[in-house]
Amino acid sequence: MFAGYDFDVIQRSLPYLFRDGMTFTVTLTLIAMSGGIVFGTLLAMMRLSSFTPLSMLASAYVNLMRSVPLLLVIFWFFFLVPYIGAWVIGGKEPIRVGAFASAAITFTMFEAAYYCEIMRAGIQSISRGQVWSGYALGLNYWQTMGHVVLPQAFRNMVPVLLTQTIILFQDTSLVYVISATDFLGAASKIANRDYRLVEMYTFVAVVYFVISYTLSQLVRRLQDRIAVVR
Amino acid sequence: MISIRNVSKWYGSFQVLAECSTEVAKGEVVVVCGPSGSGKSTLIKCVNALEPFQKGEITVDGISVGDPKTNLPKLRSRVGMVFQHFELFPHMSVMQNLTLGQVKVLGRSQDEAMQKGLKLLERVGLAAHKDKFPAQLSGGQQQRVAIARALSMDPIAMLFDEPTSALDPEMINEVLDVMVELAREGMTMMVVTHEMGFARKVARRVIFMDGGRIVEDARKEEFFGTPRSERAQLFLSKILQH
Repeated sequence: MFAGYDFDVIQRSLPYLFRDGMTFTVTLTLIAMSGGIVFGTLLAMMRLSSFTPLSMLASAYVNLMRSVPLLLVIFWFFFLVPYIGAWVIGGKEPIRVGAFASAAITFTMFEAAYYCEIMRAGIQSISRGQVWSGYALGLNYWQTMGHVVLPQAFRNMVPVLLTQTIILFQDTSLVYVISATDFLGAASKIANRDYRLVEMYTFVAVVYFVISYTLSQLVRRLQDRIAVVR
Repeated sequence: MISIRNVSKWYGSFQVLAECSTEVAKGEVVVVCGPSGSGKSTLIKCVNALEPFQKGEITVDGISVGDPKTNLPKLRSRVGMVFQHFELFPHMSVMQNLTLGQVKVLGRSQDEAMQKGLKLLERVGLAAHKDKFPAQLSGGQQQRVAIARALSMDPIAMLFDEPTSALDPEMINEVLDVMVELAREGMTMMVVTHEMGFARKVARRVIFMDGGRIVEDARKEEFFGTPRSERAQLFLSKILQH
C-alpha cells in the first residue's frame, strides 16, 4: 500500500527540519514559557492584590487573552506590533519586527494569561497561616511571596505548568500563519516543493506525538517526586 | 510593653471585638481564655497587625500598630508569634526555618544565624533534627521548632495563639515545658490557651473573653478563686472539671 509513497524524502530533509524548524519551535517554546511564567506570576499577584484597580486590570487582560483565539492574536500582533513600536519610539515608518520576534512576544503575552490562572490557583492553595507566619517573622510582602508562598506554589503547580508548556509546544505550530519556519513550517515547505504532503505531514505528526507524549510521561513521574510533603 | 485601648473590629457588619482594653507589662505573662468564637485569637493577631482593626489603639513598646506610618515588618520582627498550626515552612529544613528571618530581616550572616539557630534548637531539645523537614517531625516537635524560630529574632515579647490545641494530648507537655521555662526567664508573653494548668503555674493575669468583649481581666489568684462574672464561672467549671 506504500507503493506510491517516497519516505526517503524525510531522511533527505532531516537536517533542514531539525536544524532550522525544530530549533525555531523549541526556542520559541522556551522563550514563551520563561517569559510567560514570569509575566504570568506578576499577573497572578496583581489579580490577588487587594488594590482593586490592579486586580481589575489583570483580570481584564487575562479574560481578554483567554477569550480570543490564539491564531487571531498571532495575526493581530504580527500586523500591529510594527505600528505600536513606531508609535512608542516616535518613528514615522512601522518598525521591522521579524516573524520570530513577533511570535515570541505574542506567545509570551498569550501564555502569560494561562500561566497566570495556574499560578493564581497555586498561590491560593497556600494557607493564610503561611503568609501570617512569614509576616510575623518580619518579612515584608515581597520576601513573604518570594521565600514562603511562591516556592510552595511553584512546587504544587509544576506539573500543571509543564502540561501547559506541552500544549504551548504544540500551539507554536500556529506560527505558519505568519510564514515562520518552525518545525511544521519547514516540513510544509518541503512537502509542497517535492509534492510529498502525506509523507511529511505524517512524519510531523509522529514527531509531535513522540515529543509531547514523552514529556507528559516525564511530568507524571516528576509530579510524584517533588510534591511538598506536609 | 503591650497596650490595647478600646479596640473594636468588624467583619462587615459583624462585630468580632468590642472595646477591648488591657495591658501587658514588661516581663508579665498574661493568659487569654474564653469559648471559641469569643475573639481571643483575633485580638492577639491584632497585636502584631496580622488582623487590622477599625477602632482603638494598640501600642507595642510605644509604637502604634494601627498607624499607617508604622514600619510593620520591623515591628513584627520584634514580636515573636507562635501559631496553633505551627506554620513552619514545609519546603525548608528546620535550620532554614530558623535562619530565614535572621538573615533576611535582621541582616545576620548565614553563620551567625546558624549558630543562633543551633543554640535555640538545643534549648528546645531538637538539635539532632536540624536537617529534617517539618513534615518529618511530630506535632509537639514542630511547635517547639516554631517557638525556637520566633525566639531566633530576639523578640521583646511573644504571642502564642492556642499553641497546644492542635496537638495530641501526650505532646502538650513538651511544648508547655518550653513555654514555662520561657516565662520563668522573664519573657513578656501573651498566651491564648485553654491550658489552665499553665495559667496557674506562670500567668500573672488571666483575661476572659466572651462575644468579642473582655469580660474579666484579673490577677490569677482572683480569677481562679472567685471569678466575678457568671460567664467566666461557667466556663471554668466546664474546662476544669477534669
